[in-house]
Amino acid sequence: MMKRNPLVLGHKNLKDITEDIVAPVESFPSKGWLGLFLSAKTLLIFYIITLGIVVGTGIGLLGVNHPNAWGTMIVTFVFWIGIGHAGTLISAILFLFRQKWRTSVARTAEAMTVFAVMTAGLFPLLHTGRPWLDFWLFPYPNQRGPLWVNFRSPLLWDVFAVSTYATVSMVFWYIGMIPDFATIRDRAKNKIRYMVYGALSMGWRGRARDWSHYEMVYLLLAGLSTPLVLSVHTIVSFDFAVSNLPGWHTTIFPPYFVAGAIFSGFGMVVTLMTLVRIGFPEFKNYITLDHMEVMNKIIMATGLMVGYAYGSEFFVAWYSGNLYERAVFVNRAFGDYGWSYWCMISCNVIIPQLFWFKSVRRSIPIMFIISIFVNIGMWFERFVITVTSLHHDFLPSNWGNYAWSPYDTAILVGSFGMFLTLFLLYLRLFPAISIAEIKPVINVGYETEEGGHH
Amino acid sequence: MSDINHSEHEQHNHDHGHDHAGHGHDHHDHDHAKEAAPKERDSRYWLSLEQWSQDPEFQKMAEQEFMSSPLKESDGEDGWARREFLKLMGASLAMASAGCIRRPVEKVLPYSKQPEEVTLTVPNFYTSTYFDGTEALGLLVKTREGRPLKIEGNPKHPLIKGGTSARAQAHILSLYDPERIKGPLRNLLNKAKTNRDTIDIKWEEIDDATVKQLAKGGVAVLTGAINSPSTRAVVGDFCQAFGAKHVMWEPLAHEEIREGQKASYGEEVVPLYRFDKAKMIVSIDADFLGTWLTPTIFNRQFSMARKDIQNMSKLVVFDSAYSLTGANADVRVRIKPSQQISVVMGLAHEVAKKMGGMKPALEPFANVASEIGIEPALLSKMAEDLVANRGKSLVVAGGLPTLTGKSVELQIAVNYLNSVLGNDGVTVDSKAGLPGLGASYQDLAQLVDGLNKGSVKTVIIHGCNPIYSLAESFGFHEAIKKAELVLYTGDRNDETGQVANYIIPDHHSLEGWNDAEIGRGLYSIHQPTIRPMYDTRSFQLSLMTWAFMAKKGPKRIQQFETYYDYLRNVWKEEIHSKVGKGKSFDDMWDEALQEGVVGTQTSGGSRTFRADALNSVKPTKSEGFELVLYPTVQLGDGRLANVSWLQELPDPVTKICWDNYVSISLATAEKLKVKEGHLMDISVNGKTYKLPAHIQPGLHNDVLAVPVGYGRTAAGKVGTGIGLNAYQMVSYQKGMPIYSGAKAEVKNTGLKYDLANPQGHHTMEGRQIVVEATLKEYLKDPAAGKHQHHIFSIWSGHAYNGHKWGMGVDLNSCTGCNACVIACQSENNIPVVGKKYVIQGREMHWIRIDRYYTGYPENAQVVFQPLMCQHCDNAPCETVCPVAATVHNSEGLNDMVYNRCVGTRYCSNNCPYKVRRFNWFNYAKLIEKPRHLALNPDVGVRTHGVMEKCSFCVHRIKESKNRAKLEKRELKDGEVITACAQACPTDAIVFGDMNDPNSKVAQMFKDPRGYALLEEFHAAPNVRYMTKIRNNDQESLKGHDSKGGHA
Repeated sequence: MMKRNPLVLGHKNLKDITEDIVAPVESFPSKGWLGLFLSAKTLLIFYIITLGIVVGTGIGLLGVNHPNAWGTMIVTFVFWIGIGHAGTLISAILFLFRQKWRTSVARTAEAMTVFAVMTAGLFPLLHTGRPWLDFWLFPYPNQRGPLWVNFRSPLLWDVFAVSTYATVSMVFWYIGMIPDFATIRDRAKNKIRYMVYGALSMGWRGRARDWSHYEMVYLLLAGLSTPLVLSVHTIVSFDFAVSNLPGWHTTIFPPYFVAGAIFSGFGMVVTLMTLVRIGFPEFKNYITLDHMEVMNKIIMATGLMVGYAYGSEFFVAWYSGNLYERAVFVNRAFGDYGWSYWCMISCNVIIPQLFWFKSVRRSIPIMFIISIFVNIGMWFERFVITVTSLHHDFLPSNWGNYAWSPYDTAILVGSFGMFLTLFLLYLRLFPAISIAEIKPVINVGYETEEGGHH
Repeated sequence: MSDINHSEHEQHNHDHGHDHAGHGHDHHDHDHAKEAAPKERDSRYWLSLEQWSQDPEFQKMAEQEFMSSPLKESDGEDGWARREFLKLMGASLAMASAGCIRRPVEKVLPYSKQPEEVTLTVPNFYTSTYFDGTEALGLLVKTREGRPLKIEGNPKHPLIKGGTSARAQAHILSLYDPERIKGPLRNLLNKAKTNRDTIDIKWEEIDDATVKQLAKGGVAVLTGAINSPSTRAVVGDFCQAFGAKHVMWEPLAHEEIREGQKASYGEEVVPLYRFDKAKMIVSIDADFLGTWLTPTIFNRQFSMARKDIQNMSKLVVFDSAYSLTGANADVRVRIKPSQQISVVMGLAHEVAKKMGGMKPALEPFANVASEIGIEPALLSKMAEDLVANRGKSLVVAGGLPTLTGKSVELQIAVNYLNSVLGNDGVTVDSKAGLPGLGASYQDLAQLVDGLNKGSVKTVIIHGCNPIYSLAESFGFHEAIKKAELVLYTGDRNDETGQVANYIIPDHHSLEGWNDAEIGRGLYSIHQPTIRPMYDTRSFQLSLMTWAFMAKKGPKRIQQFETYYDYLRNVWKEEIHSKVGKGKSFDDMWDEALQEGVVGTQTSGGSRTFRADALNSVKPTKSEGFELVLYPTVQLGDGRLANVSWLQELPDPVTKICWDNYVSISLATAEKLKVKEGHLMDISVNGKTYKLPAHIQPGLHNDVLAVPVGYGRTAAGKVGTGIGLNAYQMVSYQKGMPIYSGAKAEVKNTGLKYDLANPQGHHTMEGRQIVVEATLKEYLKDPAAGKHQHHIFSIWSGHAYNGHKWGMGVDLNSCTGCNACVIACQSENNIPVVGKKYVIQGREMHWIRIDRYYTGYPENAQVVFQPLMCQHCDNAPCETVCPVAATVHNSEGLNDMVYNRCVGTRYCSNNCPYKVRRFNWFNYAKLIEKPRHLALNPDVGVRTHGVMEKCSFCVHRIKESKNRAKLEKRELKDGEVITACAQACPTDAIVFGDMNDPNSKVAQMFKDPRGYALLEEFHAAPNVRYMTKIRNNDQESLKGHDSKGGHA
């Protein structure tokens, strides 16, 4: 039997766990949280106003043009959806693999997924020229034929994939929180709190039957979510791979995108977890340095996969002998957008190599910085994919650069406002760690239990 | 209101559905509508608080105040004033055609008494003419519900057979220009004549003041070139009546040609050049395909001589600027203006060596080849080709790049060469010469003298804009201020309007009667296609009015009440006898109206060259930079600067729009460390001008080329302030202008400037896009130059059993004139986005002419490729649209369904040709009245967020199919014609049914020269391109010679 590091530090007992985890929900926010929340909220309002202006005046306010008909909105969309995948991997896949260490991070990671999908979901709807007609993307019965949608289009598959992902993630996340809501309800001293959490907990009584149903549903939902980790970003990659542009039309995209998604998602999880640990110091006992280290290892592994994908793309472009393919890739590295390509390479391939060193893996400040770089690099990867293939395609007369405008920056930055607002609210309203899942692993790593195994 | 005006409006029975429309309801409904919605006010100018607050009482009064419309006062039978009618029809039209926008309900009212020949939604076509100062084109104007919508060429015109030019297509927009003045104006000029204020004034007041002034004598009528016999007659009668002098002047005058012809042959004439009869053509800076003389006619002639490739003509161009003609040359040599004479005389020297007849004047030109930097063998070969094609060759020179101060000598040299080669009378047709091209700088210089001396007191200016197109050094700007009375017939208070006392707006050319002598012996009528929209009066009628009021002049100028009557009289008395062919006058008149052109062109007659004329031609030498000024295809002399379509049309060679610039060669750019767009200081004639630099491959290192036609200061919202007025750089010597060859200095200021260029990249990067082959390669193998890809598919595709529409584009015929681009814009209501958004990549043209450089950059050649939606059978755009807004129809077209498009723009990404255009903003909302009247009701106006693209003019296909169905017959080949194909003067674009084995397009698809663009991509496009063949003497295009001068 291998000796494990404890998953919960500080010799906590069951009461301690409840107290620690429910404390942020029951206490008044600190100045730190208030400050962050106000900034995020302001950014969110600014975001809403910007989006309103863009929808009202026309998508021409952004930098999209001929030939770059897709731009920062699609790049940011893929960015946010990708981030979401890490959460589902932690909650669902690691659950099926029975990885006990996931218990302290799963809830927050799943929350991150839900909010990332919500943030991402706005983009395919608002990047269209006539967003008020977006309901035409959904196949609903009608009197015009009936006129159905074009099921051959990857954007349609996106509609199904993203909406499935959003609903399943939302349900999975919510169901997982029910016992915890009940805990808060039972401790509630305030009538309103009692009623709200009572409603949220859906009459949970904590009977054996309740737990039995809960476990089964949780397992089923985890099983349902698992394929989504792979399929959703595969479908998103089809937006590019199923088209015909050199640099887009390649079969490596599905695994490449999924690996990239997990990579960026874990980057964001690490970023958020370091902040959560700083904001709620008690949580350091639950989200331990070991947890952070494991996540960093995953970052590095997926980073290597992504690096391999870059290399093989380049190789295949050359090996194919296709004049257009070769030209696009050479242009990617050495053309007008070469700077973004090298930014991507250094952030995604070179910098995560630091995680080979244990000291780096276990250093909070360094891992925070690296995780930021990972996300920057991943945003740039999507930018490189989207813009460099469009701006340098088949007919040289069509070549043209993206006309970056202040609205592009506003929307990119504003989306973080939306995400952070939701996330900060979540931290104060919902229990950020799964009480129901932590309690069973409280003894892991300690010598006391008989048998010493789960 | 003078009776003359009243009856002019009533009298032409040529109906446009206005005066007979018996509209049942009365004015009150209008007032109600007017009070309900306050009209848009010009928020900058108001004269009283009531006006500012839009007090309804005041508004009503303001509406009536300066009204001088006869209809409003005296019409009894119809209670409908034309302006209200137009407004309402326009409003209802806008409502009908802008389907997606919610608007308040506006009532549409049908005719209660419909005029006979008007069927709503069925267009009527009227023949007319377009004259831009040099070229007269026969037009067929498509009108609907009383207003013109689209300009087409008249297929009956013997010289152009239905083609048009970009400017002829675009001039319809100037009819609907919101900035046209709506009535006569008086300029409240201060003593220095510098202020810009005007007030409305009545015609009677102007006429009274004018007639009084005319009685004092010293009258001059300054007009542009007039090729209308009736107008010439009126002006002649008027001058006779008042002892006035008639001066014709255009900035693009062809004085040097006339002077050269006079010196060489004794007659002042501008000959008609016959490029269709020439097998070997040498042009020295004559941009005959772009802007020189009659480019549309020349385009047709030139391309007709090259349709039979085995016997195609050969074009050698010596180019100072990179002209459109140089772009189409088989062999192009870059020169500078000071070398023009050497080129011609050098060729003449070589010809004399081969043919004999060496003259002493030719002796100094023995070593021209090395002087201009080409192989002597090349020059010798050119001479050989000329000699071998004696009688069917042509040497031409002329235009602004040749106005060097030695321009007449150059013409003499060219005439000599043509005579020696026996071309005079065959390809140089003096009998068929272009009449009416009598514009003269020297005559204008005399007028300036007269003004300065005080012998000219009154000037009536019509059809020219001297304040804009003359440099101040000519003296006109100062002299005109000395006149006692200046009248100007322009349609706005433009540069010349600002020095005039009265602006007496002439009808737009689409609004008034006129005629034209489009070639000697060929006459066309110029019919109005719309009742005059505003309170304008034709120039000719103004002259007639004054003669009538003063009771002076020959009987005919006093006796008629309208210019229409006068014109008919001229035709009856003078023209009928020439072209009548035994018919009665009325029959001939009807034929003229219906066919558009009557008469036959005279031709032939060679002349003897005056032996001593050549002695005046001496060699010139020059060092340092030389300025070259030239007119562009899109703006010409600048008169249409306020037409946004033309400003947004990229120059065919430089592809820059919304600006002018100074073109410099690559070597010069490197030497001065200049990048594209850097601002340069150009010093010429003692002044310095700032212009952005454009780096132009294929330019001589000493040449600084600047387009004219830009830099207008009072053209209107669109044209004012665009570019720099290069006319200021002109100097004058003995009254003759020096446009080119002037010594210049240039300095890089280092400041950056953005030039709008919609084309992204200018070389083909080794991709098979435009396929070229030399004639020798073609003769060995007609499919030469094409790399045939192996295309295979496991699926045989859909069966198209009905019509299958396809388009063939002959790259060997396309000269890059861009008429198709404007035609498409006009037909399909394509918006203009402006310079800022062109720079951001948002241009909206559905068809564009890509221009690629080939060969070595210092001496680059050019190929053109018109690119429109390829309507692919395996369209990559169709599969990826999530809402199925773009689908393939049963006749092979890719249909774009505007109503369904939500604007995800995936289709644009997937299109390898990038022909799709997206409406980034609500361009439709920005259409300012009455500009909306130019919209084609058959094609929608797209709202924002919707993708659009070339539709193969599906509305025309539908219209033709409907007509054939009604007439119970099949469609004929050539019956369905897209706007681009119809506008093309060279028949480069052919559209038709590929399932009809006899159709022209089916033949093109089978032709070995045909290939599909990006064939290996297997989108299966329905457009085929035919390879371009260059008739140089090279065995193949591979391995270009880097020595200057070779192709």
